[in-house]
Amino acid sequence: MNMDYKYIEQLLERYWQCQTSLEEEQILYLFFSQNDVPENLRPYQSFFAYERSQMKEKLGDDFDKKVLSHINTSVVKARKLTFIGRTMPMLKAAAMVAIIFMLGNVAQKTFLSDNNVLDYNYAAYKDTYSDPKMAYDQISSALQKISKGMIKSENKKADSLHHSKGALGIVNHQAVENE
Amino acid sequence: MNPSLNIEMDEKYFRDNVLPLKDKLFRIALRITFDRAESEDIVQDTLIRVWEHRDEWSEINSIEAYSITICRNLANDRSQKVESHNVELTAEISERSDASNMDERMIRDERLGIIQRLMKQLPSPQKEIMELRDIEGMSYKDISKILNFSEEQVKVYLFRARQKIKKSFTNIDEYGL
Repeated sequence: MNMDYKYIEQLLERYWQCQTSLEEEQILYLFFSQNDVPENLRPYQSFFAYERSQMKEKLGDDFDKKVLSHINTSVVKARKLTFIGRTMPMLKAAAMVAIIFMLGNVAQKTFLSDNNVLDYNYAAYKDTYSDPKMAYDQISSALQKISKGMIKSENKKADSLHHSKGALGIVNHQAVENE
Repeated sequence: MNPSLNIEMDEKYFRDNVLPLKDKLFRIALRITFDRAESEDIVQDTLIRVWEHRDEWSEINSIEAYSITICRNLANDRSQKVESHNVELTAEISERSDASNMDERMIRDERLGIIQRLMKQLPSPQKEIMELRDIEGMSYKDISKILNFSEEQVKVYLFRARQKIKKSFTNIDEYGL
């Protein structure tokens, strides 16, 4: 018992010096709230008991309801929305799935349609020449080259025919001479 | 975020963290106004005001200190309007302690009255600090936030208040005052 009081006396001394923690102060309040407090500590009992008695002041039980009813005027508005509130996560999930599918489709199209696949959309063709006159000159010179080449090869054909005829003639001529 | 989900979370936070402060707020208001009905109104107004400022909760370090500050301001505003109630407390307290148990009946001696007077006679910040620390069991940090003092200042004021109380005990013992 004496040990206990020594501890309390120490706590009390530290209490006056403002060196006690909140927990230690609780111990003091608990100690002084009991009946058999030793004589030398009794003077302080009324002080701690007074403070503790002040702690017992409380509001009535209906107070919570009163405050919450005030607050619920704003919460009730929200409750009306709870259907949307509840389905919102589902809608969000559905929207996410839809977006992922769409992105998937777009990705598939862009990755699979490589350059080697024929593009039938002629309207999307791009001009390689910006100047139409230059383009005309280029194409006409290209066509001329082709036609020249064709004419040349035509002539060569004719020439070679002619030559072979000639050669044949010479052969025939020689043959006649040999006879 | 969806506002309707938010408001439900806010209401839960309010029920769990703000509403339980009501008795503490009530006592703080009561010590300023000395009027139970008035104090109940003040607590109700305080809690509604805290609720209305719920968009600021995320910026508040201690909702307790925040609520107590509002409560004290409201109580101070109203008690300035209705001054002169100060005498009633003594009667009210001894009346109520009649209803409580044996322990308190034993304690209810002339010393209780002396201590009450003593506590009331403490100068302004000392009295409030002692009440917040000893009756409400608050940390130095929270008290410093509520009263806009540094923690060191709070400790100094509390030290002076406790020394006065201690000294008065030796006076009571020596001179029987």
